[in-house]
Amino acid sequence: MFSTVKSILFVTMLSIVCSSLLTLAATGLKDYQLRNVAIDKKINILKSVRVVDDGYALTPVIIEKLYDENIRQAWINVDGKIITEQLKSEHDLPIYLYVKEHEILSYIIPVDSNGLWGRILGYLAIKSDGKTISGFTVYSHSETPGLGGEIETSWFQNNFLGKEILDEKGNFVAVTIAKGSVEKRIPKHRQKNFVDGISGATMTGRFLSDGLTQALIEYEVFSKRFRNQEITTLKDF
Amino acid sequence: MENLISIFLNSLFVGNILLAYFLGMCSFLAISKNLDTATGLGFAVTFVLAITTPANWLVYHYLLAPGALSWAGLPTIDLSFLKFITFIAVIAAIVQALEMIIDRYSPPLYTALGVFLPLIAVNCAILGVSLFMVEREYSFVESVIFGASSGIGWTLAIVTMAGIRQKLRYARVPKGLEGFGISMIIAGLMAMSFMLFSGITL
Amino acid sequence: MKITRTKAFRVFFTPIWESNPVSGQILGICSALAVTVQLKTAIVMSLALTFVLAFSNFSISLMRNYIPRNIRIIIELTVIATLVIFADQVLRAFLYNISKQLSIFVGLIITNCIILGRAETYALGNPPFLSLLDGLGNGLGYSQILITVAILRELFGAGKLLGYQVIPASLYAAGYENMGFMVLAPGAFIAIGLIVWLQKTVAKEENDGKPH
Repeated sequence: MFSTVKSILFVTMLSIVCSSLLTLAATGLKDYQLRNVAIDKKINILKSVRVVDDGYALTPVIIEKLYDENIRQAWINVDGKIITEQLKSEHDLPIYLYVKEHEILSYIIPVDSNGLWGRILGYLAIKSDGKTISGFTVYSHSETPGLGGEIETSWFQNNFLGKEILDEKGNFVAVTIAKGSVEKRIPKHRQKNFVDGISGATMTGRFLSDGLTQALIEYEVFSKRFRNQEITTLKDF
Repeated sequence: MENLISIFLNSLFVGNILLAYFLGMCSFLAISKNLDTATGLGFAVTFVLAITTPANWLVYHYLLAPGALSWAGLPTIDLSFLKFITFIAVIAAIVQALEMIIDRYSPPLYTALGVFLPLIAVNCAILGVSLFMVEREYSFVESVIFGASSGIGWTLAIVTMAGIRQKLRYARVPKGLEGFGISMIIAGLMAMSFMLFSGITL
Repeated sequence: MKITRTKAFRVFFTPIWESNPVSGQILGICSALAVTVQLKTAIVMSLALTFVLAFSNFSISLMRNYIPRNIRIIIELTVIATLVIFADQVLRAFLYNISKQLSIFVGLIITNCIILGRAETYALGNPPFLSLLDGLGNGLGYSQILITVAILRELFGAGKLLGYQVIPASLYAAGYENMGFMVLAPGAFIAIGLIVWLQKTVAKEENDGKPH
């Protein structure tokens, strides 16, 4: 009987000590963690328009500064009109604009795709001509290292540079990850709509292609306005 | 549906928790000397995984995740940092309860699985699958499929390994490679063969 | 008395040189391999594990006379889990990028057999300071294997170490190619098998054939 009481007492003490320690650590470090997440997002947005190469070598202060100088966040509504934060409603889509001297160079679409294992999150940047891809990054995924995990490497992401989301007749086709090498498998006139696939990761490629297409379709109204040169500078909002 | 089949096949082969993510190695190396024991342990792991993964899903999504406590009027609380300790407690409790239930209602099953159950509570495969389930943001149904198929995949690997190791007794292995070394190399070759399924598309 | 003769010294160094936790005992292989694709993640993982191991040993040893015997495993797990969560929180706050790559494997330190094993076999029966050293020693012994595997895998798999290109471009020009195989899971198994072989052959251990 006595030993049971002693056990319970001991466990209660231990629980209190451990839980207060953990709560202290978790609440104390929360701000740092949230800041990391925010910085990570900014690094990836900057990477997608190639303002930085490997943002992790830079200090958070520099990242913040580069982000504030180059990127504007906005939202777009169903008609493809840009909306500021105050006016946004639930259905509006977030968009990031890469701006130099009031001129929009690229717009950046958040990509939220299914993967083989979990979600793949990243950013796709498109030039202000509304059709040429200027960059792609992945900042979160749970694909198999060495296979699908290659989507986070620069050789894969660099494949997207200069690819187009329109076919040669000007129709929207999005961009697709080929099964293997583009040069060998895709007819010449379609090559600009395809990027090299990762060997051994066909499924990841398929999921990511679907995700990219989905994202591009959602933002197609907006891309069209760029193609028709309705938007070129920040003042065209 | 296609999604579920894809999770099932992938957890079985390409993403085998043992051969691709190295989970559950301890028991894999310790037990896989004997085919019968390996099969028994495999079934026990599958059984426990199929129950604990959905159980942890419920615990995570109704108690721990950011905003999960909104049903209790506390939408801003984020307890996700407690997931490691909670999961391990849930697993230990379920394993203990299972042991008692099986002992009470099905003595034959108890003789088959009973010895393995305490071993399983600290098997990293069990905790690992629950943590993967959170990280990959599975839905409840997906977590059931993922738990069960990971268990089957693990069983497949450990039973094959046991079979190979039984045959290995008749093989001449270089002195320094005997035991642990050769087991790892066999595991490597097995992992390679499991990866061949990576081209499967439905 | 020479320092190498003290008990503390032996407690600390034996696991590093003689009974290395990975190869000598089977303990703790679990979470070791998945993070060895890159050297950087392996180093951080090693630090996290050594930290948890040292302090779990230390705190369990401090409480060893008060822990009720029948619930000691649960208590050990609670202490270990607390330390792991703490390590995970710190990594998330200060090494976010690496903690993202380590994903669930920091959490799996809880079920790493080395930690519970050392708590059971050493910390429950020895004073705090020696337990701390035992934890540090075992942690470093484990790190040594983990880091060796990571060096092999990153060097041959990607031609890099810690993210810096090590294999010169002239070699690639001469036809050298990275072994994609080393990056994949089977590469880790085979690398560790070969390391154990080498270690056993060099050390000429006589316990071949005996169960570990």
